[in-house]
Amino acid sequence: MTRYVMTIDLRRCVGCQTCTAACKGANATPPGIQWRRVLDIESGEFPDVKRTFLPVACMHCANPPCEEVCPTQATTKRADGLVVIDYDLCIGCANCVMACPYDARSIVHEPHYAYNDTAMASEAKRFDPSRIGVSMKCTFCKDRIDYAAVSGMIPGVDHEVTPACVNSCISGAMGFGDIEDPESGVSRLLAETQHFRMHEELGTEPGVYYIWDKS
Amino acid sequence: MKLSTLRAAELAAPKQQRNWDWRAATNFICGGAGGGLLFCAAFAGLGPVAMQAAVLLGLVLIGCGLTCVWFEIGRPWRALNVYRHIATSWMTREAIVALLVFAAGGLTLLTNQAALLLLAGGLGLGFLYSQARILAANKGIPAWRHPRSIPLMVATGLAEGAGFLACVMSLASGGAGFAVLTGLIVLIGVRAFLWKAYLDALVADGAPDGTLKVLNGMAPRLLLVGHILPALAVMAAMAGMPGRAALAFAAGILAVAGGWFLKFTLVRRAAYTQGLAVPRIPVRGKGTAGAGAKPGWKPV
Amino acid sequence: MEAQAKSVKRVPTYCYNCVSGPDLMNIKVVDGIATEVEPNFAAADVHPAKGRVCVKAYGLVQKTYNPNRIKTPMKRTNPKKGRNEDPGFVPISWDEALDIVAGKLKAVRAKGLLDEAGLPRVAVSLGHGGTPSNYMGTFPAFLAAWGEVDFSFGSGQGVKCVHSEHLYGEFWHRGFTVAADTPNCRYNIAVGANVDVTGGPCAVIRHADARVRGYKRVQVEPHLSATGACSAEWVPIRPKTDPAFLFALIHVLVRENGLEKLDIPFLRDRTASPYLVAPDGLYLRDPQSGKPLVWDENTASAVPHDTPGIKPAVAGSYRVASAVVVDADRERRDYADVDGKTAYEMLAQHIDKYTPEWAETVCDVKAATIRRIANEYLEAASIGETIVIDGKTLPLRPVAVTLGKSVNNGWGAFECCWARTVLAMLVGALENPGGLLGTTVRLNKSRDNRHLSVAPGEDGFMVQYFNPTSKEEWQVAPSTRNLHQTLVPIVGHNGAWSQALGPTQLAWMFQNERPDDWSMPMPTLPEVWLVYRSNPSISFWDTRHLAEVAAKFPFMACFAYTVDETNYMADVLLPEATDLESTQMIRMGGTKYMEQFWDHKGVVLRTKAVEPQGEARDFTWITTELARRTGLLEPYVKAVNKGISGVSPLKGKDYDFSLDPAGDLSPEKIWDSVCRAATLTLSDGRDEHGLEWFKENGFYTVPMSRLEWYLTPTMEQHGLRYELPYQERLLRAGRELGRRLHEKKMNWWDEQLSEYTALPEWHDVPGRWIRNLEKAGAKPTDFPFWLLTTKSMQYHAGGNAAIEVMHEVAQNLRGHAGVIMNAKTAASLGIAEGDRIEVRSHIGATYGKAALAQGVRPDTLVIIGQFDHWATPFAKSMGAPSLNSIAPMSLDLTDATGSGADIVRVAVRKMEARQ
Repeated sequence: MTRYVMTIDLRRCVGCQTCTAACKGANATPPGIQWRRVLDIESGEFPDVKRTFLPVACMHCANPPCEEVCPTQATTKRADGLVVIDYDLCIGCANCVMACPYDARSIVHEPHYAYNDTAMASEAKRFDPSRIGVSMKCTFCKDRIDYAAVSGMIPGVDHEVTPACVNSCISGAMGFGDIEDPESGVSRLLAETQHFRMHEELGTEPGVYYIWDKS
Repeated sequence: MKLSTLRAAELAAPKQQRNWDWRAATNFICGGAGGGLLFCAAFAGLGPVAMQAAVLLGLVLIGCGLTCVWFEIGRPWRALNVYRHIATSWMTREAIVALLVFAAGGLTLLTNQAALLLLAGGLGLGFLYSQARILAANKGIPAWRHPRSIPLMVATGLAEGAGFLACVMSLASGGAGFAVLTGLIVLIGVRAFLWKAYLDALVADGAPDGTLKVLNGMAPRLLLVGHILPALAVMAAMAGMPGRAALAFAAGILAVAGGWFLKFTLVRRAAYTQGLAVPRIPVRGKGTAGAGAKPGWKPV
Repeated sequence: MEAQAKSVKRVPTYCYNCVSGPDLMNIKVVDGIATEVEPNFAAADVHPAKGRVCVKAYGLVQKTYNPNRIKTPMKRTNPKKGRNEDPGFVPISWDEALDIVAGKLKAVRAKGLLDEAGLPRVAVSLGHGGTPSNYMGTFPAFLAAWGEVDFSFGSGQGVKCVHSEHLYGEFWHRGFTVAADTPNCRYNIAVGANVDVTGGPCAVIRHADARVRGYKRVQVEPHLSATGACSAEWVPIRPKTDPAFLFALIHVLVRENGLEKLDIPFLRDRTASPYLVAPDGLYLRDPQSGKPLVWDENTASAVPHDTPGIKPAVAGSYRVASAVVVDADRERRDYADVDGKTAYEMLAQHIDKYTPEWAETVCDVKAATIRRIANEYLEAASIGETIVIDGKTLPLRPVAVTLGKSVNNGWGAFECCWARTVLAMLVGALENPGGLLGTTVRLNKSRDNRHLSVAPGEDGFMVQYFNPTSKEEWQVAPSTRNLHQTLVPIVGHNGAWSQALGPTQLAWMFQNERPDDWSMPMPTLPEVWLVYRSNPSISFWDTRHLAEVAAKFPFMACFAYTVDETNYMADVLLPEATDLESTQMIRMGGTKYMEQFWDHKGVVLRTKAVEPQGEARDFTWITTELARRTGLLEPYVKAVNKGISGVSPLKGKDYDFSLDPAGDLSPEKIWDSVCRAATLTLSDGRDEHGLEWFKENGFYTVPMSRLEWYLTPTMEQHGLRYELPYQERLLRAGRELGRRLHEKKMNWWDEQLSEYTALPEWHDVPGRWIRNLEKAGAKPTDFPFWLLTTKSMQYHAGGNAAIEVMHEVAQNLRGHAGVIMNAKTAASLGIAEGDRIEVRSHIGATYGKAALAQGVRPDTLVIIGQFDHWATPFAKSMGAPSLNSIAPMSLDLTDATGSGADIVRVAVRKMEARQ
């Protein structure tokens, strides 16, 4: 069995939003839609204050509540752990948006462009009408993972088959790979660090692991 | 040029959901009442006119809710895809039940058969229950996913149904009988009880500050409008005060209004998302870890 | 849609949008349209950031297709200039545009390059920290061919850069930019250094690695920046009191720990600590040779510092039988039987009063905290430990004090730069592994190898090229409008950058008014002003007045991306092909700005990934046409042949790709020649690659020894000492400069002269801003807060405020387009998150939304960046505040190096609901 997961080392993240911007580029999301972003969370009181940068996106849960509620089976969980959306089936009912406890999904009802109403050449080139009026979210760069199956390359090792955010991360905070493979980079990293998954109490079994200290 | 007005300080915190607007809320408001009405009507021993009126009103309410939803979804011309996931999706189940409700209700209207009304009433309850489960399945909204939201949603649907029934009977027959009024006051009481149980549990189990603020803020008004006043009206009617029909009608309307106020608030204003949290503050170099942060929630 | 694309290719290129470049990337091009920016993993093994670029680069696709671009040359039709005058730009042909500009330039040449005031008639302003030269192709060759140019009209450089660090860093250890040796560092005291935001991907990955490794970074700053967030500890210091904090650290090391715990061999052999100082504060010198004396413990006698076989005493006071001192203007005084204290002893006595308890009263940082940090620093320095690098054993001193903007520029910055360099010196961490490193030079040559700039100078120190202050050589009539040679000895005249690092605000200020006792020629306006990638009307101070001055310039031509606040006053706009649309080769690797010190060095090509939009033209094409039309083709081509941007000359020992002024001068031909010359030079003749090869491969490198990171071994080779801790040279330079100015009856620079001291004193640095207020007739109590700025990686140096996606992603971080203030302070003023507030100084007001935080001092407000645009499309709708609109430009706030700091006293209040 394979389950692709992401590791995010919060000790490394500097909140620079490179992954946010890289994702927007790689997935051609319209203005205001971010399939992933890095949150800037402050805790404590002056002068004992901490600021934490927390990258968030679809957690590709093992028990995805979005899949359960989806009335169309547009949202499905794949055998390799990716939670994906079939844009041709989705009716845009937004039930999955409400079901997701990670603010990961959004629906855009009409085209938006960076500058006014006209698409730039780069936007026009990549405009995908099938994504209007349906639920969207991070796909773990599904096409790349699919290409791994064809090419024999390894996600998380070979950049061509690794999600764009992971590739872009300048602090080296992000890892990607098969958690079922004890030899994978993510398995080894998780073995030697302390980590959590977000809202674990909800039973969603998220596929994103946040590292916060060494073991 | 419009620029995004995101505010970083608010990104992690729970936010009022914006995906289900008044159109989706209308489905819960009207559809639930319609389902409740059908169910109550089935056991009210109605005469033919009242039965016709009650069933018609029930179907119209459900139809109105579904129509509103249809206008809300992103791809309305694919709406039939909604039937593709009966295995786990309560929205699929709601849509199936809706079809059956319309079939049974339609036949009832055509035939005035009490047995068919019983069937329609059962399906109405099923529709109501489906809606309660739709809300509860949304793990992203703590106010909805709390298990006590299900009985509350069902109870209010039934109370609204009984309220509508009281109204219908006030207008279309000799007025609501003792049994209907008893049912109405019992359902109002049950709803009041379940509402309090729900709110207490939500406070105890934790919910976004925004949710609790909205729900606590509405509680006195709900108590007065949705519970105390209709209960008083029912009691007055039952005690034989003059204007019994008007009192029963008023009680019914207030029971409905209270329920709709509750559902609109729950679906729209109190529907704060879970938000995002960091249970452990990371260790930076030789620094120390911190206790974690859950913006928009009371510290546990 | 992409699925139906006919062609998909990835073009390797670089990003140099900020000084922390270049970083490498690929541009994905689909059917001729740039669609995505991706890392270039082919560079993962040579680039410290593993082939990755920061967030800014991901805005370059939008930058290319932004519909608000200037896409044809334009000329102004409204002769009136000003913020309220619509320029009436109309499209013209390239021929017409170039002829207009060339016509003005030829007219200047006909009259002479210098005007009646002796100032260049042509001025050029270039943007942030030299980044424009990575995009302006062969334009430097045109400037070289032209002759005298005034770079005085800065857009912030010189005053808003890390100015004092540039000048003193380069003076003391050839560190124009100074960094921790992060890959080896274990303890970093970062005083405002915001390296996780401004250090680029190389710094970010190195510090992330260091965190995971377990280093400790203590962030000392009034506002918890992203870098502070990622540090082990935050010390919220009172603004502009950093010198006091650093002095107290020195106190703990020197007075509380004592010499025996410090790096005595380093102090004795590599610094001037043993030099004996006379009671008058000058070095005691050997009467014959004039060399500074040291006390030799072997012979118990005072001998010249470079006497072989001696063991100089580091501490103590010694009686010297006969010596001289050399004062300003070479005045000699003889001494007999005089007590000479070592420079270290002078330091120890000087620092005695700066206790942590004293510092606590100044900095609002607990004495115990200061003492703990100093002791942790000393312990982490692990004096005695060594490391082997490429077979050579070197001291390992893994501690560094790094400084940030507004700490290392403006008043107080000299003290901070001195103190942190002394802190490195005391533990032997200066230019040794793990310690404090300079990474590049700009005021000395060669700019690509700072070791080559090390040569013996006076008194056992490195050679320095101060601007002369002697009676004979002092430049009494300034040669530039910022008076850099006249007023700032240390900025020198040896490097190409000396001029641009003068007090550039003086160029702007003195156009309006001059001091009463001004006795130099009146500054004139330049007849032709060329501007590229620079927007001083946004990025300087008192920007409203600056724009009014800019409007008076008689002729201005701007290389323009969009209309902006500066080119709004232009006469001609020239649209250059931007980052992804044009070709250029630059050097990469080696040791460069910030933390760009690599294990490789080489060259990288900025490849034309897509065709330029509209009529935009490659900068090299524009430059060649300008050279042709101004009759400068021959000297221009000669300058190109000499080598552009530090890349190899086109003619070498075994190759000749020299260009012929009469031959093909297309950008392709020029850069093909550069590619070939560069690869042959780098590979010692092994490899020759042309433009086509680079279009495929992007870059070419050869390995470099890590020993090149450290200057101390080179100093040792030359037998040289760092000019620390005692500043006799500066003391004398200041005295001479004072005499020269006073001889000309000018006293307006007197306050600045007070900075020339041998050992810096605390002088109530924040009080200068308060006194400035009072002088302007305002009441200090009316302006109870400090306003500071901080940078953001999304925008820093990028000139990209017009890029929509940067705005979008920046909003995820707190405070963008707002005013960060302490939540408790805000509550006391009735201000809530998101409220629109007014921040007012004594010269004006700026407006934005309150962003409440705990991570900022209660007496401090912070505005990110500088975004109050009023002409730049998109940016002008941001409604963002800026310190620049309300920070005064003032002589009082200008330090001796000519720099200032981004800080101003303000009042704050909630606005009535609006918008």
